[in-house]
Amino acid sequence: MLSEAAVNEIKDIRKRYATARSCIMPCLYVVQKEYGYITEDGMREIAKILGVKPVLVFEVSTFYTMYNKKPVGRYHVQVCTNISCSIMDGEHIVDVISRKLGVKVKETTPDKKFTLSTVECLGSCGTAPMMQINDKYYENLNDTKVEEILNSLR
Amino acid sequence: MATVKINGKEITVEDGTLILDAAKSAGFEIPTMCYHARLSKLASCRVCLVEIVGQKKLQPSCVTPVMHNMEVLTESPVVKSARSSMIELLLANHPLDCPVCDKGGECELQDVTFKFGPRKSPFGEPKRRFNEEDYILSPVIVQNINRCIQCKRCVRICAEVVGAGVLGSIGRGTGTQETSFVKEYLDCDHCGNCIEVCPVGSLMSRSFRYKSRPWDLSGVDTVCTYCGTGCQLTVQARNGEVVRVISNPDTGINNETLCARGRFGYSFINSHERLVTPMVRVDGKLEPSTWDKALDTIRTGLTNAIKMGEKIGGVASARLTNEELYLFQKLMRVALKSNNLEAGSRWNSDSVKEFIDVMGLKNGGVSIYDALKADTVLIIGTAISDENPVTDYIIRRLSSYRKMNIIIMSSRGLKLDSSAKILLRHKPGAEREIIGAITNIITGKSKGTSGQDNIVAAAEIIKNSNSVSIAVGNDVLRIASQLSYINDLTDSLKGLGKEVKLFPVLDRANQRGAWDMGVHPALLPGYKSTGEEGLGCDGIIQSALKGEVGALYIAGEDVVSDFPDGRAAREALGKVKFLIVQDMFLTETAKMANVLLPSASFVEKDGTFTNQEGRVQRLRRLYAPQGDVKADWEIISAIGETVAPSFGVKSATDIFNEIKEVVPMYRDISFEGLNGNGAILQLSGSSEGSGVVARFIGQNRRDNPSGLSPETVDPEYPFTLITGNHLYHSGRLSMKVDKLREILNEAIVEISEEDALVLGITEGVKVRVKSKSYEAYLTAKINSGTAKGVVFIPENFTDVLVNMFFKMGEGFPRVKVQLP
Amino acid sequence: MFEPVILKNINIPDSFKLSAYINSGGYQALKKALEMTPDALIQMVKDSGLRGRGGAGFSTGLKWSFIPKDATLQKYLCCNADEGEPGTFKDRAIIEYDPHQLVEGMIIASYAIGADTSYIYIRGEFAFGADRLEAAIKEAYQKNYLGKNILGSKFNHDMYVHRGAGAYICGEETALLESIEGRRALPRIKPPFPAHVGLFGKPTVINNVETLACIPHIINKGASWFASIGPAKSPGPKLFGISGSVNKPGLYELPMGTPLREIIYTHAGGMKPGKKLKAVVPGGVSAPMLTEKDLDTPMDFDSLAAKGTMLGSGAVVVIDDSMCIVKAALITHEFFHHESCGKCTPCREGLDWIVKVMRRIEHGQGKEGDIELLQKLCVDIFGRTFCPLGDGAVMALRGAFNNFREEFEYHIKNKRCMVNGNR
Repeated sequence: MLSEAAVNEIKDIRKRYATARSCIMPCLYVVQKEYGYITEDGMREIAKILGVKPVLVFEVSTFYTMYNKKPVGRYHVQVCTNISCSIMDGEHIVDVISRKLGVKVKETTPDKKFTLSTVECLGSCGTAPMMQINDKYYENLNDTKVEEILNSLR
Repeated sequence: MATVKINGKEITVEDGTLILDAAKSAGFEIPTMCYHARLSKLASCRVCLVEIVGQKKLQPSCVTPVMHNMEVLTESPVVKSARSSMIELLLANHPLDCPVCDKGGECELQDVTFKFGPRKSPFGEPKRRFNEEDYILSPVIVQNINRCIQCKRCVRICAEVVGAGVLGSIGRGTGTQETSFVKEYLDCDHCGNCIEVCPVGSLMSRSFRYKSRPWDLSGVDTVCTYCGTGCQLTVQARNGEVVRVISNPDTGINNETLCARGRFGYSFINSHERLVTPMVRVDGKLEPSTWDKALDTIRTGLTNAIKMGEKIGGVASARLTNEELYLFQKLMRVALKSNNLEAGSRWNSDSVKEFIDVMGLKNGGVSIYDALKADTVLIIGTAISDENPVTDYIIRRLSSYRKMNIIIMSSRGLKLDSSAKILLRHKPGAEREIIGAITNIITGKSKGTSGQDNIVAAAEIIKNSNSVSIAVGNDVLRIASQLSYINDLTDSLKGLGKEVKLFPVLDRANQRGAWDMGVHPALLPGYKSTGEEGLGCDGIIQSALKGEVGALYIAGEDVVSDFPDGRAAREALGKVKFLIVQDMFLTETAKMANVLLPSASFVEKDGTFTNQEGRVQRLRRLYAPQGDVKADWEIISAIGETVAPSFGVKSATDIFNEIKEVVPMYRDISFEGLNGNGAILQLSGSSEGSGVVARFIGQNRRDNPSGLSPETVDPEYPFTLITGNHLYHSGRLSMKVDKLREILNEAIVEISEEDALVLGITEGVKVRVKSKSYEAYLTAKINSGTAKGVVFIPENFTDVLVNMFFKMGEGFPRVKVQLP
Repeated sequence: MFEPVILKNINIPDSFKLSAYINSGGYQALKKALEMTPDALIQMVKDSGLRGRGGAGFSTGLKWSFIPKDATLQKYLCCNADEGEPGTFKDRAIIEYDPHQLVEGMIIASYAIGADTSYIYIRGEFAFGADRLEAAIKEAYQKNYLGKNILGSKFNHDMYVHRGAGAYICGEETALLESIEGRRALPRIKPPFPAHVGLFGKPTVINNVETLACIPHIINKGASWFASIGPAKSPGPKLFGISGSVNKPGLYELPMGTPLREIIYTHAGGMKPGKKLKAVVPGGVSAPMLTEKDLDTPMDFDSLAAKGTMLGSGAVVVIDDSMCIVKAALITHEFFHHESCGKCTPCREGLDWIVKVMRRIEHGQGKEGDIELLQKLCVDIFGRTFCPLGDGAVMALRGAFNNFREEFEYHIKNKRCMVNGNR
């Protein structure tokens, strides 16, 4: 069951749009904030609160990549491997992180602290190579910086 | 109008015609995959791309309307090449499963590839694989998701037409799966319409899987035997066994849709439980016999009853054909000189007569599509989404195309509620009160009282409409009550200059036909009055309890299970001196017969049904009945001959010809000519009554206008029990279908969310429902829309006989509900 | 040095705050605009020659003029802040460092078209930017730049931020509308166009961030000022984001029409040491790549179109000679394949087929006939898709073939890379 704070947030969200269905996307973020990923129960609860058929929530949650279908580590490390970052050796950054954490892409460390993913362009091409960890961007990366950043995350 | 050139051929079409349709009318076929005439448009498959002279880009013909002077090329090299490449791309990831795929031989992808596709392709990459296992989505639906070509017809029909909305697009891009998110059974209607519209072998019927190739099937186009919607369907058999029912998109008011019963409810036809031989009671036990012996026994039994001047009664099932029902009443009236007859055993015959009158059935039929042209549609007396699913689909679909105010009056929450403008939840039996209030408000006699906000709003909408259609279901007949309130509303609306159409919603396939054919104690065929009224089923039961009934002939109706007082019915039938029963199965009523005769199913005879619209449609015979089984009309004919030697008839067509002479509305109907969508009955100005509708100024035969709950409510039994058909079942016939029983086998009790909360009941737990005289244990189902204080138990199940809760003359049963 | 217009505030400390924006002349344009008639505003924007900065380059004033004048209809403005085109990072600067510029532009635009509500559709990854926008909107409400009866003008307007969740296709305007409506972001059939049936079925204008950021400046300094910058048919200041193998990658505000060579060598400091210029993607990866011979092309809509490519978002990606073009093409194509919404057959199945072939070629499993196959698939897809995403993928691939076919042939023939000898 969603917390009272979450339910209240959903009530606020409802005021922003002409239809209840529009609230599905922001409500999925509320569920993700609450549980760390999109749970089936969470989706059913959103559907009930908004008065929409559950399948409409399922559809949206599986279309957009930022909704986690499975639990992720406390720090979701997302490295861009699109063109500008690749020219600046983004692949190498992925290798460095992979070796340091001891996981392959799409895997989570055994202590559930880090999940490593590669993602498409994050709109930070001028400061490539770069990565996003949870909500924060880390730009102009090199081996040293990556080491520091990961060490600093406890 | 627009004049356009298609491949150089000039044609003129209505403004806004799609290129696709214009081309078709000019004789040019454009293939489509995602396009469907009755679903929202996607223009996503790109197979229908055509060239418009002057436009650089090819355009999808399924969404592009023609414009005056437009020149379209549908066969140019670039179009042909584009078409071929789109098909090639669809085949790229499509598993070439044809040899093992159910759809082979009737697959749209095969067809379109053969006609328009490439002969070879350089595709040599690994095909996308979602899943090695099929998805078992429901007792009736299985899906091979790898074969899906993402046309989304299934998603659209489920959401837009059926209103269940359980299928969706899961994922994105090449990884999109059109399926259910949760990999357990779908919580849906199990109607199988998704299967019907799937162009490839992705969604498949579990009943039909691996059973046959389509070219090995023989089939007939006929009418569904379940509810009064009157869907056309095609029953297909292989080696004498019915293996599938499908629906042709181009025929019937239902087009490609059917419900779970219509689509999957056919296995009763080949059931091992079918009666195959006549049976005669010898020394208290029913024993197999021969037709000669059986008819001999009947001759004796009937002749005795006639000689003793005892009452003779007849109850026929409303699933019999028009021919059979006509012959039945002729047998009763002409051969047995009795007016004690009725079609069905669940309703009060006076109320039925009043229903016929207020609904104007003698004025001819009204097509559902005409009725739904109205500004406002008022639906009362039927849990329509469960009772007549395809009628519900049609309403939903049409209401999404145009502005239509739907007002639903019901005690239960319904799937159609989400399409309604106003929902009027009411206690069972309160229809007269509410309609009365609405009538008073629209005529200005009242402004409504506090707490009647919804009623006032509904009245407002009705008042501001130019046309109103009133759909009335047969639930208003379950407890005897006066129906003059419908007349009052109709008259008031007509007085205000509104166009009014009345539309009955009936839960048996040929109920209207039965009434047209005069299977009623007070009405002759064509609704002429009998001089002296006889007894309806309830009157026959009461009479039998007093020992007055010498012979009772029951054709296809399970009176013991259906009559609203199971105890009384069983006792009454036990007191009948001579009981003749004909049926397909050994029902509870059949078990009590003196002579039991095996009758045929609806695919083993020719005949006609008249659906709730007043549309006459053809039943066609797939194969002859097996062994000693005979069609109902043959049996009626044979029984008639035992007491009136000249009674016999040779064919259903002969009977129909007689019907044409006797019933003016049927005069212009041609038995052989009934194709496609049948024919709606027209009142053709007959001699009788000349179109003037005689008002029934009826008096109730009972002192107590029962149906209104007694003033003092016993707090010990706080719930009102109502009944009706469950979505997956119709009468008792569907209980003989394994597939439908797999979907739902045991009776449920539906309760409102509020009441469930108070009683601590959660979905799926077993609860005890108890009246003063009967109790049962059932699984609880919570329906958030159902009214407080109301519980619903379907009338279809053999594990709980809901008619045991009912008592004659006592209106709706009062029960209590508790956790055991 | 071109005097920055859009980026003029970003080096001011706390530039994102309302106080900083006001100090630097903010919301004066709004006051001016509210004293004009909507029709006069639309004409002004038309006269300025402003063309959409999202990539399509459609006349902004003309787009606004399509909105029906019927005052009884509700209307919407949507700001496309989805910025998903690889190589593009210009809108982010405005959002994070000068959000009020965008907000002001949006309020003026809404007033011009009669919209009482607007949404900023911001890609989900720009969480920081979204926070900044929400804070700016809150400040704007406090000063009655938003809300009821704005600055006493009787104009009411509400503005909301809608966060995306990772789908490049939302950059397509009708997919963006679907996304705000809570659906999967599949593009819609056109016609009807958003100007008539848009968000929630109402007339809607969708404009890019940078486009809307230009509006206050046009109001303040006049249409002819704007029109005088750069080429007549494609005027105004433009944010060029340059990335890749250059010494000073980043965002540069320059007049439209600045030659590509100048951007790379004068402003972005030229190639990194030891790297030679091999190819340049001029306007986001959908734009076919250019080579050394094309560097003098002016960076404006029409000049680049004439060269068979496009200005798009003005995102310049410089590829050096150490990068294998086959790999670059594969990376780009994987992107389009990943972002395909899956609605139409040619994009969904066509890009899938292409990416499978290209993976083989890149990893040393190319077969003879693969290039012809890829070219055939390009023909099958181009112009037949439901929306321009498929077209963009094909254009990018064709750009790679046209200029570097020999690299593909080498991969196929020799089962390894021509540039760095790897498999």
